[in-house]
Amino acid sequence: MEKRAKQSDTGIEKLNSKDATVIDAHNISKTYNPGGIPIRAIKNIHLHLSKGEFVALVGPSGSGKTTLLNMIGGLDQPDSGSILINNTDITRLSQAKLVKFRLHHIGFVFQSYNLIPVLTAQENAEFIMLLQKIKKFKRNERIDMLFQAVGLSDKKNVRPSQLSGGQQQRVAVLRALASKPQFVLADEPTANLDSEAAFNLLDIMLKLNKEEGMTYIFSTHDQRVIDRVKRVIKLVDGEVVSDKITDIL
Amino acid sequence: MTIKIAWRNIWRNKIRSLIIIVSVSSGLLAGMAVISLYEGMMRSRVRTVIETETGHIQIHQKNFLNDRMTEYYIPNPQLISDHLKNDMSVRAFSERTISEGMLSTASGVSGVSIIGILPQNEIIVSGLDQKIKEGFLIPREDINGILIGKKLSQKLKIHLGQKIILTVTDSAGNLTSSAFRLRGIYQSDNALIDEVNVYVSQQSIQAMLTLKNQIHEISVLLKSDEQMDECLRRYKIKFPDLAIDSWKSLSPETNLLVTTVDYYSFIILVILFIAISFGIMNTMMMSVLERRYETGMMMALGMGKYKIMYMIILETIFLSIISIPVIIPMALMTIQYYGEKGIDLSGMGKDMMYSFGFETTIYPVFPIEKLPSLIILLFITAIISSILPTWKSVQNSPIQALRN
Ligand SMILES: Nc1ncnc2c1ncn2[C@@H]1O[C@H](COP(=O)(O)OP(=O)(O)OP(=O)(O)O)[C@@H](O)[C@H]1O
Ligand SMILES: [Mg+2]
Repeated sequence: MEKRAKQSDTGIEKLNSKDATVIDAHNISKTYNPGGIPIRAIKNIHLHLSKGEFVALVGPSGSGKTTLLNMIGGLDQPDSGSILINNTDITRLSQAKLVKFRLHHIGFVFQSYNLIPVLTAQENAEFIMLLQKIKKFKRNERIDMLFQAVGLSDKKNVRPSQLSGGQQQRVAVLRALASKPQFVLADEPTANLDSEAAFNLLDIMLKLNKEEGMTYIFSTHDQRVIDRVKRVIKLVDGEVVSDKITDIL
Repeated sequence: MTIKIAWRNIWRNKIRSLIIIVSVSSGLLAGMAVISLYEGMMRSRVRTVIETETGHIQIHQKNFLNDRMTEYYIPNPQLISDHLKNDMSVRAFSERTISEGMLSTASGVSGVSIIGILPQNEIIVSGLDQKIKEGFLIPREDINGILIGKKLSQKLKIHLGQKIILTVTDSAGNLTSSAFRLRGIYQSDNALIDEVNVYVSQQSIQAMLTLKNQIHEISVLLKSDEQMDECLRRYKIKFPDLAIDSWKSLSPETNLLVTTVDYYSFIILVILFIAISFGIMNTMMMSVLERRYETGMMMALGMGKYKIMYMIILETIFLSIISIPVIIPMALMTIQYYGEKGIDLSGMGKDMMYSFGFETTIYPVFPIEKLPSLIILLFITAIISSILPTWKSVQNSPIQALRN
């Protein structure tokens, strides 16, 4: 796979193209062994993501999307290969260090039930920044701006149970990128949403990708979502079968 | 923020939390009730012992308590009484001539301790007049009068006015008997005493024993309990040849009771709190298992294991101590109320209480100095109850927790 040195709006000042690399997964494999029968979930995958990219991971069920994302996100370890996130090989980090690394460098959006039910939308969005011990005025500034950007300003003090599924996912996206991580990783963030809410979420992700240069990698099954994404990586049986960049818009 | 989440988490399942809060509260109430009842019983027992049995301090000839022989009387009692009269700490004292003897009536015989008293002194020192249930206290000049306990009167079926023969060994070693008339029947809080102690005038027992104004016992009632240790020390120095004892050594069973009661109430508390802790643990366990996905997600986002554990411990502690600000003042007020009014336990077996030397009305007192240790005990209970749920909460890796 050839290296893609794409320039993002925030990465321009860095002349060295290596600095714009966010994810560099090299030859990673993962085999599960449930009940003695080995399942090769990921087979020698190389993956390279530059700052500001917006990437969809697609493929049939069981093709290894979740497994791959978990490894990139530092939630799971590959059996072999290396995963460099901003030049740190996360496969060599201890569990405790990985937790810290995730906190400071990776934003997560899960499929559903992303939010902590006892916290308000604002408190949920602040969660990562609070763990990072970011000062209150800085947090407020950032949260106000983001809630405005996604049109949820009036829902800040509402508990997740009073938000629609789409609104919850939007708050989850805000939480993931509020602390400006290296990239946001999302495993089927739209799977539990109706198509209107799914498009809405995608719009917001794209908007923040443009405005903030936030890098995204997410998996999806939804063809209409796929149609709106520039770079689409397709997995089949744990292997990358295509990695296409289409010019949309 | 962890505190905020923990606090809000305990309100997620209100019914469940309420059950725990109620059970902790009832445990706390029960614990405080037990402590106060015990304390009340002990204090009244000590008061009874001091005010009706031994006084604060007793003075005897060195051998008398080991061997109640007639010849072990106190030499120079005048010296001591002069000293006591001038002692500012002394409220009153009473001199007694004592002899072991035999009491016989038409209906039976019983071994007794005959105590020769100056009745007016006993009114203050041992409250003897208060204990008379039938008849009256023998007047000073009544050399034929005798008082016996209710228990003995029942045993021997004696009635007021009946003739009673006392037989003793006099100081020369001769057996001598005298006839008395039953003037009064007393009842103290201690059945053991009521069965053996009989009271006659000092004059008459001295005559029987062929003693001249000699006494065996001086019982001293002080103005306050706090002065006892100091007086004890002073008298021991002043009268080195006499035996000076406090109620603690004269009634060792009472003293033992007082010291063991602390220990018992502690054990009862521990048992209570162990029961509570199972409840708390169970609730927290359910709550932790229900939230596996959520904690997994928090860990995935970058919240460390220790923070999660801290959160669960905090939740347990909150659940356990949340009721303290309400329950403790409430319990203290209730105890205060009953402490003044008294709790009548005669329904629970007056005879049983009486035969152990306890009054049937208990005035509960909560020893306020025990409050901190009670709260600490509750804290420890909370922390112990949180161990298993806390451990369980971080058992799953984030991907395991997130898979469902
Ligand atoms: N913990 C596990 N133990 C055993 N096998 C597993 C485990 N996790 C995943 N697998 C297997 O690995 C393969 C890839 O699974 P993965 O969940 O990554 O696929 P996916 O592309 O995310 O599928 P879907 O679209 O259904 O979410 C599958 O064959 C799956 O059965
Ligand atoms: Mg999947």
